[in-house]
Amino acid sequence: MRPAAATAGSDRGRDATALLKLATFFSASFPIGAFSYSHGLEWLIAEGRLPDAASVRDWIGDLLRIGSGWNDAVLFAEAWRRTTAGDCPGLAAAAELAGALAGTRERHLETVAQGGAFAVAAEAGWPCEATAWLRDRETPYPIAAGAVAAGHAIPLELGLAAFLNAFAANLVSVAVRLVPLGQSAGLGAHAALHPLIRDVAARAAAASLDDLGAATIASDMASMRHETLYSRIFRT
Amino acid sequence: MPFAAISPSDPAPGPRLQRTYGRAAIAFKADGARTRLDRLFQEGAAKIRLPRAPAGAPPQAVLINTAGGLTGGDRLAYEVALRAGCRATLTTQACEKIYRASGGEAEIGTALRLAAGSRLDWLPQEAILFDGARLSRRLDAELAADASLLAVEAAVFGRHAMGEEIGRGLLRDRWRIRRGGELIFADDLRLDWSEADLLRRPAVLDGARAAATVLYVGEDAEARLEDVRSALGGAGAASAWRGKLVARIAAEDGASLRRALLPALARLAPGAAFPRIWHV
Repeated sequence: MRPAAATAGSDRGRDATALLKLATFFSASFPIGAFSYSHGLEWLIAEGRLPDAASVRDWIGDLLRIGSGWNDAVLFAEAWRRTTAGDCPGLAAAAELAGALAGTRERHLETVAQGGAFAVAAEAGWPCEATAWLRDRETPYPIAAGAVAAGHAIPLELGLAAFLNAFAANLVSVAVRLVPLGQSAGLGAHAALHPLIRDVAARAAAASLDDLGAATIASDMASMRHETLYSRIFRT
Repeated sequence: MPFAAISPSDPAPGPRLQRTYGRAAIAFKADGARTRLDRLFQEGAAKIRLPRAPAGAPPQAVLINTAGGLTGGDRLAYEVALRAGCRATLTTQACEKIYRASGGEAEIGTALRLAAGSRLDWLPQEAILFDGARLSRRLDAELAADASLLAVEAAVFGRHAMGEEIGRGLLRDRWRIRRGGELIFADDLRLDWSEADLLRRPAVLDGARAAATVLYVGEDAEARLEDVRSALGGAGAASAWRGKLVARIAAEDGASLRRALLPALARLAPGAAFPRIWHV
């Protein structure tokens, strides 16, 4: 076999391995309990503030561009880089910052509960140095996800795209389950977010912690108000 | 006096302008049950006045920017230190006006240090951003494990009395609060008006043109939540966990911002600590 062909073959093998891990870690069936967190959407929908596919798409799009989704992407990238560099103190500092940035009690619950579940699930099936480090720590979700992606040598931008896509898919599914959106309208909204997800993943891959910043004050307030919602299906 | 560099990214910055610079530091210490001034330093445009407090009330220091407003490249730095067991309130003499920037950002940096058992109420009045304003604020606090802090950062976007809306500009508010060495609260607000209709976006401010963030750190933070929520009314929302309470307010204008903010702050700042100047 010629060396060039061998290289191409092993590249494809690496790509397929990364793809399989991404498809697993960021699939709706990976047991992090994503389905039980609405990120405040349940309150908005109860108030009639997200009446159609366009408003759901715009809301989620703003979270990704200039909100909690963007901040999570920046934190994922930081965790990925620190893990790749073997910098445990830097990774711990990123985890502390991510926890402190959770701006409401429910946001904090959402990120540490999913982060903890992600670490446990990843270690059960795909143990690595990163999953060992995460054991018995309270780790926000973007930090756990970024560290495990790095631990499995998944390219940063691909990992970010899959991570953000899972975030968007979960929120679209909240809207579909809470009625205002039919199944195909939900799929249409999700598809319409794909170009944005690609763009945000590319920008976040080049961003540093100084690029943290969110404009989505109303989204934070929705999360706070969800805490006061009388009858709730979602934990957040 | 240092001159901040004009941002290289700004096209045709024109002649280099003299920038406003000010730095003020104040420290308080306990003297029996009373709090007394320990140290005062002021330089440039930043001044601190310490009006006589009513008997038994904690001191209320007033920050004054003698430049009467800020624009791109201007810098103000404040430092407040509370020694063990004392309490004080800090406020500003006026709303800080942030004028259109021809280059760079106006920067206001605040560093708070609260020793064991101390309590600080950091209650500056709201900043008013003019069209084209660029403001970067940074609030850093180091609290002893049992210190308590009430802090607010508020801003009004555009001079509403003149019918002004912001067409371009930038506001960055960065909070980093540590208690007992641990980072317990971080916030990065970034409003960038390079995007049209930013404030009208439903997830941003849904048309509101004034906003505030309130943080209370204290062992009774969670116990205060219901009281604060009822004081905020419909313009605000709040959450509390792990010894901290966070509230956000989004209001139509500066006056309605204060109508939600003042009752909430009054619940969190005991009567004597609330700055009289806010009521004027």
